[in-house]
Amino acid sequence: MLSTKRTSTTTQDQDGAAKAAPPGPPPSRVRRPSRWLAWGFLAPVTIYLAAFYAYPLYRNVELSLREYTVRSFVQGGAPFAGLDNYRTVLSDPAFGPTLWHTLIFTGASLVFQFSIGMALALFFHQHFPLSRTLRALILVPWLLPLIVSASTWSWLLNSDSGLVNAALGAVGIDPVNWLTSPGWSLTSVIIANIWIGIPFNLVVLYSGLQGIPVEMYEASALDGASSWQRFWRITFPLLRPVSTITLLLGLIYTLKVFDIVWIMTRGGPTGSSATLATWSYRLGFGNMLPEFGPGAAIGNLLIVMALIAGLIYIRIERRQHLR
Amino acid sequence: MTGLSRRRRLAAVAVIALAAVTASACSSSGDDTSDGGGGAYLVWDPYPQFAAESEWVSLLKKCGTTAGVTVERTGYDTTDLTNKALLAAQQGNSPDVLIVDNPVISTLAEAGALTTTDDNKLDVSAMAANLLGAGQSEGKTYGVPIGANTLALYYNKDVLTAAGVDPATVKDWTSLTAALTKVKAAGKKGITFSAIGTEEGSFQFLPWFWGSGAQLTSLDSPQAVSALTLWTDWLKQGHAPNSVINNTQTTSWQEFATGDYAFAENGTWQLANAEKLGFSYGTIPIPANAGGPAPAPTGGEFVSIPVQKNTGRYETSQKLVACLTNADNLLATDTTLSYVAPVTAVQDRQATADPKLKVWVEAVRAAKGRTGDNLGTKYPKISESLWTAVQAALSGGKSPQEALKAAQTAASTR
Amino acid sequence: MTTSTPRAWWKTGIGLVLTGLMLFPVYWMINVSFTRDQDMRANPPHLFPINGTLDGYRAVLDQQLPYLGTSFLVGLGTVVLTVALAAPAGYALAKLRPPGGPALSFVLLIAQMIPGIIMAMGFYAIYLTLGVLNTLPGLILADTTLAVPFGVLIFTAFMSGIPDELIQAAVVDGASRLRTFWSVVLPVSRNSIVTVSLFAFLWSWSDFIFASTLAGGGDHQPITLGIYHYIGNNNQQWNAIMATAVVASIPAAVLLILAQRYVSMGVTAGAVKD
Repeated sequence: MLSTKRTSTTTQDQDGAAKAAPPGPPPSRVRRPSRWLAWGFLAPVTIYLAAFYAYPLYRNVELSLREYTVRSFVQGGAPFAGLDNYRTVLSDPAFGPTLWHTLIFTGASLVFQFSIGMALALFFHQHFPLSRTLRALILVPWLLPLIVSASTWSWLLNSDSGLVNAALGAVGIDPVNWLTSPGWSLTSVIIANIWIGIPFNLVVLYSGLQGIPVEMYEASALDGASSWQRFWRITFPLLRPVSTITLLLGLIYTLKVFDIVWIMTRGGPTGSSATLATWSYRLGFGNMLPEFGPGAAIGNLLIVMALIAGLIYIRIERRQHLR
Repeated sequence: MTGLSRRRRLAAVAVIALAAVTASACSSSGDDTSDGGGGAYLVWDPYPQFAAESEWVSLLKKCGTTAGVTVERTGYDTTDLTNKALLAAQQGNSPDVLIVDNPVISTLAEAGALTTTDDNKLDVSAMAANLLGAGQSEGKTYGVPIGANTLALYYNKDVLTAAGVDPATVKDWTSLTAALTKVKAAGKKGITFSAIGTEEGSFQFLPWFWGSGAQLTSLDSPQAVSALTLWTDWLKQGHAPNSVINNTQTTSWQEFATGDYAFAENGTWQLANAEKLGFSYGTIPIPANAGGPAPAPTGGEFVSIPVQKNTGRYETSQKLVACLTNADNLLATDTTLSYVAPVTAVQDRQATADPKLKVWVEAVRAAKGRTGDNLGTKYPKISESLWTAVQAALSGGKSPQEALKAAQTAASTR
Repeated sequence: MTTSTPRAWWKTGIGLVLTGLMLFPVYWMINVSFTRDQDMRANPPHLFPINGTLDGYRAVLDQQLPYLGTSFLVGLGTVVLTVALAAPAGYALAKLRPPGGPALSFVLLIAQMIPGIIMAMGFYAIYLTLGVLNTLPGLILADTTLAVPFGVLIFTAFMSGIPDELIQAAVVDGASRLRTFWSVVLPVSRNSIVTVSLFAFLWSWSDFIFASTLAGGGDHQPITLGIYHYIGNNNQQWNAIMATAVVASIPAAVLLILAQRYVSMGVTAGAVKD
């Protein structure tokens, strides 16, 4: 299902972006390798999936279909509840706003992470002195445990002793209650999440850029294309497979982000920065009396959302492939 | 390098990894299972800050030796421990002795994961009744308090002197607000506390809630509204910073530590840090609306004995717990934790040894369990509604009255 | 390409500014790690740790160093296992395209969506039965779940860009598919191997939830759990927490810089071979 476009130009042997050169006749394959051979390569990962993902997934589904109390969680015998937990969640007045926050959080994070990551990747691709070292340093935020980076952000954005408000004050702007006003809390957690996501986008896109053959740029330089044109005509199309996979993975990671939001605002004040993932966590684990059923139901709704995104991805892939 | 040699090397790595997995699977199975009559007794506590060589751990070992067994201790982060205890109970793998935050006891008891004093024969008669309450439900006792803490108002002597406020005159809400107004006029900040959207927020709001005369069974009573209005007005008038909405108790302590604030609502556990402050401080009880000290909620952990398949283990576990909670050991443990002991006689010894603890001993004696009043497992829902209402009012989303009305609806319907 | 023309140095200047902006929160973390308790919430905040303290670092150096070793071992183990599982799968999905392959990639996508805490609870139950709680291999195995689906997808996307001619040439030479994979596909995929390794390492390095659930009680605790020493029941020592994070990121940052060098070398080597 993933990009399987073949190249018709003579290329160097770097891995990297699939080539979007005009489709030639489908090259003939030497011989169709037997499906057993292919599955031989896939066997380790398949066994691994079955061994370590199936049980948690089953458990999450099972939790959502039964009416668990703490007692039946420990002692067993929770009655089957069908879709009751889903009904509870969907009819909760908090569902609408939380879904909306999730969409904004995911959408805004993706757009900014990707475009900033792309800009940085293009910039660092130019190989100037220290470029490698600086690029590596940008990854440092990834080394920090989330509890540290999220706490640092809430430090910076603190209403009274935060540096951001102090800086705003220095230029004469009134302090903003970043984390403590319902109007700003979602924006604040989005900013922090974008910051955390940039290194991921930078690295993957940068690796993709390295796969683009230099000759393609040289050819277009002769044509007298501006750098802006070069980007839209060559870089962007050639990067498309890597870009789609980056965006898709970004979407999946962003949908399930809860720790950043949880540490910075606990989804508050009054649910103004709650997403489906923090809501699920709050119900299942953030309370003294866990409500496993509804918590798991929300988790599964998130999985369904990712499934839909995956299906859309496959459609796009297929259309690209056919064109 | 040829492909072949590389392949061999990679294959070797894979084999080693696999071997390591299987080897450790063989070697360590049996260590973790607590059924059967093994010599090791497992103890879980929420004190990860205490390393293997700390006094706390050596006390555990010593109690084990006295009981004739070895103790294997694990310190978990407190927020982690509830889940972990529930999971372990589900898998039939609970530790022999479990030390948890007091409101968690009623949840674990509800889950059927803890033994009662009828089963484990623990003697709890010496424990102060108001502290033991958090571990009791429907006439059964599920654990022993190991120490207690509660809230009071710390004040900055320098700031109050500069503003011309005598802390002895702060006896009720009116005089407190008057003091805050004077402090603000003197160019300093009034009071800081924690109103975060978690249990910590409810914990900090409860002294004002109870101090107004309100009850947890009726969140929208006029008294409750008056308590929330007090906090909301403080924010509106600039007596308390806007950051309280997101403050943990640590953040709020850091604000107090800057020396800019006159008052801070915080707990017994800050006593050690208070000595490191760059100014002189004092403490007063949190005043009730009508005067006198308000009942503050009790904090602190309980020692419990989880249900085991092999009921023969309770006898030794009981010896371990009895050792941990005897008078001398309580004194030692509670001194390290900056807690107040749960036994009157030991409390008196603490107050004699350190006169500063006197205020705290009195505060603990006047304090109230959160899950008391037979609320038990209803408390978590009530508390969540309560902190949600506090957040809504403080952030300006709703008036105190509306917020508490919604809270009462949420608490009673769910 | 690395010419030291004035223009290139001008770019270095911009690069420094951009990196500085990105790393400002990291600077703030360092600042806090040196700050005394009474200055932590100063208003206005101190930009530099005036009257700084080394208390945080003293605590960390006394207590935290053994955890760093564990983190390294877990990180390296995760990298090896992740690449070993994901690279063959990526190759099969990209080049051999077996029936059922697309379905498998789809399952991999969905696998990433299972909340971490649910995964951790599942592992806890499995490990309890197997008796591998609190062991290094156990933690490594769990940490690979963070990166394997990602690795497969990345390898698939990148390996599908390898020209078929290259593989065909090897097959015509009489190499087996396995041999082709080792001696042709893997070497040209060096770039994506480094990318996947990097992320596998970073994820396991910063993992908190598996570590606390599966290794919280044992002798093999990674550095992220070391932070728990400073998160008390009611109180947190922030300068020590931040100092732990700083000490934890220095060796890893050095490793990152070295890895980046390797990526670029891989590129040059490829170009020369061309």
